[in-house]
Amino acid sequence: MKPLKHLRSQPPQPAREDVIVFAVGGYKLAIAAGAVKEIRGMDDLHPFKLGGISAQIAKLKYTLERNGATYFVIDAAQHFRLPASKASRVMVLRNIPTGVLVDSTDRIMEISALHALPPAFTHEERGWYRGLAVVNGLVVPVVNHNAFLNGAELEIVRAGLERVRVVVTA
Amino acid sequence: MIAEADKSYVLFPLGEKRFALRAETVTELARPDSVQTFPHRTPLLTGVLVRRGRIVPVCDVAQVLVGPAAPPRKFYLIANCKIGARQELTAVPVTGECELASAASVPLTGSEPAYVSGMLSFGNEIVAVVALEKLICAEATA
Repeated sequence: MKPLKHLRSQPPQPAREDVIVFAVGGYKLAIAAGAVKEIRGMDDLHPFKLGGISAQIAKLKYTLERNGATYFVIDAAQHFRLPASKASRVMVLRNIPTGVLVDSTDRIMEISALHALPPAFTHEERGWYRGLAVVNGLVVPVVNHNAFLNGAELEIVRAGLERVRVVVTA
Repeated sequence: MIAEADKSYVLFPLGEKRFALRAETVTELARPDSVQTFPHRTPLLTGVLVRRGRIVPVCDVAQVLVGPAAPPRKFYLIANCKIGARQELTAVPVTGECELASAASVPLTGSEPAYVSGMLSFGNEIVAVVALEKLICAEATA
Protein backbone atom coordinates (compact mmCIF):
# COMPACT_ATOMS: atom_id res chain seq x y z
CA MET A 1 0.00 0.00 0.00
CA LYS A 2 1.56 3.30 -1.07
CA PRO A 3 1.22 6.52 0.84
CA LEU A 4 -1.19 8.90 -0.86
CA LYS A 5 1.08 11.80 0.03
CA HIS A 6 4.22 12.09 2.07
CA LEU A 7 3.85 13.19 5.65
CA ARG A 8 5.45 16.51 6.37
CA SER A 9 8.19 15.96 8.87
CA GLN A 10 8.00 18.15 11.91
CA PRO A 11 10.93 17.22 14.12
CA PRO A 12 10.42 17.38 17.85
CA GLN A 13 12.40 19.81 19.96
CA PRO A 14 15.81 18.34 20.78
CA ALA A 15 15.99 18.07 24.54
CA ARG A 16 18.60 15.69 25.89
CA GLU A 17 17.84 14.74 29.45
CA ASP A 18 18.01 11.80 31.79
CA VAL A 19 14.72 10.31 32.82
CA ILE A 20 13.71 7.56 35.21
CA VAL A 21 11.31 5.04 33.71
CA PHE A 22 8.66 3.77 36.09
CA ALA A 23 5.52 1.67 35.86
CA VAL A 24 1.98 2.35 37.03
CA GLY A 25 -0.99 0.12 36.28
CA GLY A 26 0.85 -1.64 33.47
CA TYR A 27 1.95 1.58 31.76
CA LYS A 28 5.53 2.77 31.39
CA LEU A 29 6.04 6.43 32.16
CA ALA A 30 9.10 8.58 32.70
CA ILE A 31 10.05 11.41 35.01
CA ALA A 32 12.99 13.80 34.77
CA ALA A 33 15.81 12.25 36.80
CA GLY A 34 16.61 15.67 38.21
CA ALA A 35 13.13 15.91 39.70
CA VAL A 36 13.63 12.83 41.88
CA LYS A 37 15.51 13.10 45.14
CA GLU A 38 15.20 9.51 46.28
CA ILE A 39 13.54 6.22 45.41
CA ARG A 40 12.62 4.10 48.40
CA GLY A 41 10.41 1.28 49.61
CA MET A 42 7.09 1.59 51.38
CA ASP A 43 8.58 1.73 54.89
CA ASP A 44 7.84 4.64 57.19
CA LEU A 45 4.73 5.78 55.32
CA HIS A 46 1.99 7.14 57.56
CA PRO A 47 -1.59 6.84 56.27
CA PHE A 48 -3.04 10.26 55.59
CA LYS A 49 -6.61 10.60 56.80
CA LEU A 50 -7.96 14.04 57.36
CA GLY A 51 -11.70 14.22 56.61
CA GLY A 52 -12.09 17.24 54.36
CA ILE A 53 -8.70 16.98 52.68
CA SER A 54 -8.93 13.26 52.01
CA ALA A 55 -12.31 13.82 50.37
CA GLN A 56 -10.98 16.62 48.17
CA ILE A 57 -7.66 15.01 47.30
CA ALA A 58 -8.35 11.29 47.36
CA LYS A 59 -5.05 10.46 45.67
CA LEU A 60 -3.15 11.73 48.73
CA LYS A 61 -2.59 8.49 50.64
CA TYR A 62 0.38 8.89 52.99
CA THR A 63 2.84 11.27 54.53
CA LEU A 64 6.54 10.59 54.85
CA GLU A 65 8.90 12.30 57.27
CA ARG A 66 12.43 12.70 55.90
CA ASN A 67 15.13 14.82 57.48
CA GLY A 68 12.62 17.02 59.27
CA ALA A 69 10.49 17.59 56.17
CA THR A 70 6.99 16.23 55.50
CA TYR A 71 6.27 14.78 52.08
CA PHE A 72 2.74 14.20 50.86
CA VAL A 73 2.62 10.87 49.06
CA ILE A 74 0.35 10.61 46.03
CA ASP A 75 -0.99 7.36 44.57
CA ALA A 76 0.09 7.63 40.92
CA ALA A 77 -2.57 5.16 39.75
CA GLN A 78 -5.27 7.37 41.21
CA HIS A 79 -3.59 10.51 39.83
CA PHE A 80 -3.74 9.01 36.32
CA ARG A 81 -7.31 7.73 36.93
CA LEU A 82 -6.21 4.11 36.59
CA PRO A 83 -7.58 1.12 38.50
CA ALA A 84 -5.83 0.46 41.80
CA SER A 85 -2.39 -1.02 41.24
CA LYS A 86 0.24 -2.68 43.41
CA ALA A 87 2.52 0.12 44.52
CA SER A 88 5.91 -0.96 45.82
CA ARG A 89 8.13 2.12 45.52
CA VAL A 90 7.98 5.77 46.48
CA MET A 91 9.69 8.42 44.38
CA VAL A 92 10.47 11.32 46.67
CA LEU A 93 10.55 14.47 44.55
CA ARG A 94 13.13 17.23 44.77
CA ASN A 95 12.26 20.81 45.75
CA ILE A 96 8.57 20.04 46.31
CA PRO A 97 7.00 18.24 49.29
CA THR A 98 5.64 15.40 47.19
CA GLY A 99 6.21 11.67 47.02
CA VAL A 100 4.74 9.44 44.33
CA LEU A 101 3.65 5.83 44.84
CA VAL A 102 4.49 3.73 41.78
CA ASP A 103 4.41 0.01 41.01
CA SER A 104 8.10 -0.19 40.12
CA THR A 105 11.01 1.84 38.88
CA ASP A 106 12.88 0.55 35.89
CA ARG A 107 16.02 2.37 34.77
CA ILE A 108 17.56 5.73 34.09
CA MET A 109 17.98 6.52 30.42
CA GLU A 110 18.72 9.47 28.22
CA ILE A 111 16.09 10.81 25.87
CA SER A 112 17.15 12.96 22.95
CA ALA A 113 13.89 14.71 22.14
CA LEU A 114 10.55 15.50 23.63
CA HIS A 115 7.50 15.50 21.35
CA ALA A 116 4.61 17.78 22.29
CA LEU A 117 1.48 15.95 23.34
CA PRO A 118 -0.73 16.06 20.21
CA PRO A 119 -3.42 18.74 20.61
CA ALA A 120 -6.12 16.12 20.02
CA PHE A 121 -5.50 15.18 23.65
CA THR A 122 -7.60 17.81 25.35
CA HIS A 123 -8.38 16.59 28.86
CA GLU A 124 -6.49 16.24 32.14
CA GLU A 125 -3.55 14.59 30.42
CA ARG A 126 -2.45 18.00 29.12
CA GLY A 127 -1.45 18.80 32.68
CA TRP A 128 -0.09 15.36 33.47
CA TYR A 129 2.64 15.28 30.82
CA ARG A 130 5.47 17.52 29.67
CA GLY A 131 5.53 15.60 26.41
CA LEU A 132 6.17 12.23 24.83
CA ALA A 133 9.53 10.56 24.30
CA VAL A 134 10.09 7.84 21.72
CA VAL A 135 12.51 5.18 22.90
CA ASN A 136 13.31 2.34 20.49
CA GLY A 137 9.95 2.92 18.82
CA LEU A 138 8.05 2.94 22.10
CA VAL A 139 6.18 6.04 23.19
CA VAL A 140 6.85 6.95 26.82
CA PRO A 141 5.04 9.93 28.33
CA VAL A 142 7.30 12.18 30.41
CA VAL A 143 5.31 13.33 33.39
CA ASN A 144 4.97 16.85 34.71
CA HIS A 145 6.16 16.20 38.26
CA ASN A 146 4.61 19.43 39.55
CA ALA A 147 1.15 18.10 38.64
CA PHE A 148 1.12 15.22 41.13
CA LEU A 149 0.20 17.72 43.81
CA ASN A 150 -0.36 21.08 42.19
CA GLY A 151 -0.19 24.47 43.89
CA ALA A 152 -3.91 24.63 44.66
CA GLU A 153 -3.93 21.11 46.12
CA LEU A 154 -0.86 21.83 48.20
CA GLU A 155 -2.57 24.94 49.53
CA ILE A 156 -5.60 22.86 50.57
CA VAL A 157 -3.35 20.36 52.37
CA ARG A 158 -1.33 23.03 54.15
CA ALA A 159 -4.42 24.98 55.20
CA GLY A 160 -6.04 21.79 56.51
CA LEU A 161 -2.96 20.81 58.49
CA GLU A 162 -2.70 24.31 59.91
CA ARG A 163 -6.32 24.13 61.11
CA VAL A 164 -5.55 20.81 62.83
CA ARG A 165 -2.40 22.27 64.43
CA VAL A 166 -4.38 25.22 65.79
CA VAL A 167 -7.03 22.93 67.27
CA VAL A 168 -4.43 20.61 68.84
CA THR A 169 -2.40 23.43 70.41
CA ALA A 170 -5.45 25.39 71.60
CA MET B 1 -12.38 26.98 -5.30
CA ILE B 2 -13.23 23.43 -6.33
CA ALA B 3 -16.72 22.87 -7.72
CA GLU B 4 -18.80 20.44 -5.64
CA ALA B 5 -19.05 17.97 -8.51
CA ASP B 6 -15.27 17.86 -8.96
CA LYS B 7 -14.39 17.04 -5.37
CA SER B 8 -12.65 13.80 -4.58
CA TYR B 9 -13.29 11.76 -1.49
CA VAL B 10 -11.67 8.84 0.24
CA LEU B 11 -14.38 6.31 1.07
CA PHE B 12 -13.69 4.14 4.07
CA PRO B 13 -15.63 1.19 5.47
CA LEU B 14 -16.70 0.78 9.07
CA GLY B 15 -18.40 -2.58 9.17
CA GLU B 16 -21.21 -2.66 6.62
CA LYS B 17 -21.37 1.10 6.15
CA ARG B 18 -19.06 3.42 4.28
CA PHE B 19 -18.17 6.99 5.12
CA ALA B 20 -16.09 9.60 3.32
CA LEU B 21 -13.38 12.11 4.07
CA ARG B 22 -12.45 14.87 1.64
CA ALA B 23 -9.48 13.52 -0.29
CA GLU B 24 -7.35 16.63 0.18
CA THR B 25 -7.31 16.02 3.93
CA VAL B 26 -6.09 12.43 3.66
CA THR B 27 -2.34 11.87 3.62
CA GLU B 28 -1.96 8.13 3.89
CA LEU B 29 -3.60 4.76 4.27
CA ALA B 30 -1.37 2.85 6.65
CA ARG B 31 -1.04 -0.81 7.46
CA PRO B 32 -1.91 -1.81 10.97
CA ASP B 33 0.71 -0.72 13.42
CA SER B 34 0.71 -1.28 17.08
CA VAL B 35 -1.26 1.47 18.76
CA GLN B 36 0.57 2.62 21.82
CA THR B 37 -1.48 3.66 24.78
CA PHE B 38 -0.86 5.67 27.91
CA PRO B 39 -3.16 7.10 30.56
CA HIS B 40 -5.39 9.89 29.27
CA ARG B 41 -9.01 11.06 29.54
CA THR B 42 -9.92 12.26 26.05
CA PRO B 43 -12.88 10.33 24.61
CA LEU B 44 -12.42 8.52 21.25
CA LEU B 45 -8.63 8.60 21.39
CA THR B 46 -7.29 5.09 21.74
CA GLY B 47 -3.58 5.90 21.68
CA VAL B 48 -0.91 7.03 19.27
CA LEU B 49 1.04 5.68 16.30
CA VAL B 50 4.61 6.59 15.47
CA ARG B 51 4.78 7.34 11.73
CA ARG B 52 8.08 8.44 10.27
CA GLY B 53 9.21 9.92 13.54
CA ARG B 54 5.96 11.75 14.18
CA ILE B 55 3.44 10.92 16.87
CA VAL B 56 -0.06 10.62 15.44
CA PRO B 57 -3.09 10.32 17.72
CA VAL B 58 -5.53 7.51 16.90
CA CYS B 59 -9.17 8.56 16.93
CA ASP B 60 -11.62 5.66 16.87
CA VAL B 61 -14.54 7.37 15.15
CA ALA B 62 -16.33 4.02 14.73
CA GLN B 63 -17.61 4.36 18.28
CA VAL B 64 -19.65 7.38 17.15
CA LEU B 65 -20.38 6.48 13.53
CA VAL B 66 -21.48 2.84 13.91
CA GLY B 67 -21.46 2.17 17.63
CA PRO B 68 -19.62 -0.41 19.71
CA ALA B 69 -20.43 -3.32 17.38
CA ALA B 70 -17.98 -2.25 14.67
CA PRO B 71 -15.77 -5.13 13.50
CA PRO B 72 -12.01 -5.05 14.15
CA ARG B 73 -10.22 -2.18 12.44
CA LYS B 74 -7.64 -3.29 9.87
CA PHE B 75 -6.04 -0.11 8.54
CA TYR B 76 -5.45 3.46 9.56
CA LEU B 77 -6.52 6.35 7.40
CA ILE B 78 -4.27 9.26 8.30
CA ALA B 79 -5.81 12.65 7.71
CA ASN B 80 -5.08 16.28 8.43
CA CYS B 81 -7.41 17.62 11.02
CA LYS B 82 -7.67 21.15 12.36
CA ILE B 83 -7.49 20.96 16.16
CA GLY B 84 -7.78 24.45 17.60
CA ALA B 85 -5.61 26.66 15.40
CA ARG B 86 -3.31 23.89 14.20
CA GLN B 87 -3.43 21.30 11.46
CA GLU B 88 -2.54 17.94 12.95
CA LEU B 89 -2.39 14.45 11.59
CA THR B 90 -4.95 12.06 13.03
CA ALA B 91 -5.21 8.32 12.40
CA VAL B 92 -8.70 6.90 11.90
CA PRO B 93 -8.98 3.10 12.23
CA VAL B 94 -11.07 1.62 9.40
CA THR B 95 -12.28 -1.91 8.84
CA GLY B 96 -11.16 -2.53 5.25
CA GLU B 97 -9.70 -1.14 2.04
CA CYS B 98 -10.42 2.47 1.13
CA GLU B 99 -11.35 3.91 -2.23
CA LEU B 100 -10.69 7.24 -3.91
CA ALA B 101 -13.86 8.45 -5.65
CA SER B 102 -15.67 11.49 -6.98
CA ALA B 103 -19.37 11.86 -6.59
CA ALA B 104 -22.15 14.39 -6.77
CA SER B 105 -23.35 15.55 -3.41
CA VAL B 106 -26.88 15.10 -2.20
CA PRO B 107 -28.50 18.01 -0.32
CA LEU B 108 -28.38 17.74 3.45
CA THR B 109 -31.75 17.42 5.16
CA GLY B 110 -30.72 19.36 8.24
CA SER B 111 -31.27 16.41 10.56
CA GLU B 112 -27.74 15.04 10.19
CA PRO B 113 -25.28 15.26 13.06
CA ALA B 114 -23.05 18.36 13.03
CA TYR B 115 -20.03 16.29 12.01
CA VAL B 116 -21.66 15.32 8.69
CA SER B 117 -20.58 17.98 6.20
CA GLY B 118 -22.20 16.43 3.13
CA MET B 119 -23.83 13.40 1.59
CA LEU B 120 -22.66 11.58 -1.51
CA SER B 121 -24.68 9.38 -3.80
CA PHE B 122 -23.23 6.19 -5.30
CA GLY B 123 -26.17 4.49 -6.99
CA ASN B 124 -28.34 3.22 -4.16
CA GLU B 125 -25.75 3.97 -1.53
CA ILE B 126 -25.68 7.29 0.32
CA VAL B 127 -22.37 8.00 2.03
CA ALA B 128 -21.92 10.63 4.73
CA VAL B 129 -18.91 12.94 4.45
CA VAL B 130 -17.37 13.24 7.89
CA ALA B 131 -15.87 16.50 9.16
CA LEU B 132 -13.30 14.91 11.40
CA GLU B 133 -12.47 18.02 13.42
CA LYS B 134 -16.15 18.61 14.25
CA LEU B 135 -16.58 15.00 15.35
CA ILE B 136 -13.47 15.07 17.55
CA CYS B 137 -14.29 18.46 19.06
CA ALA B 138 -17.92 17.46 19.76
CA GLU B 139 -16.81 14.31 21.55
CA ALA B 140 -14.02 16.08 23.42
CA THR B 141 -16.43 18.60 24.87
CA ALA B 142 -19.28 16.10 25.44
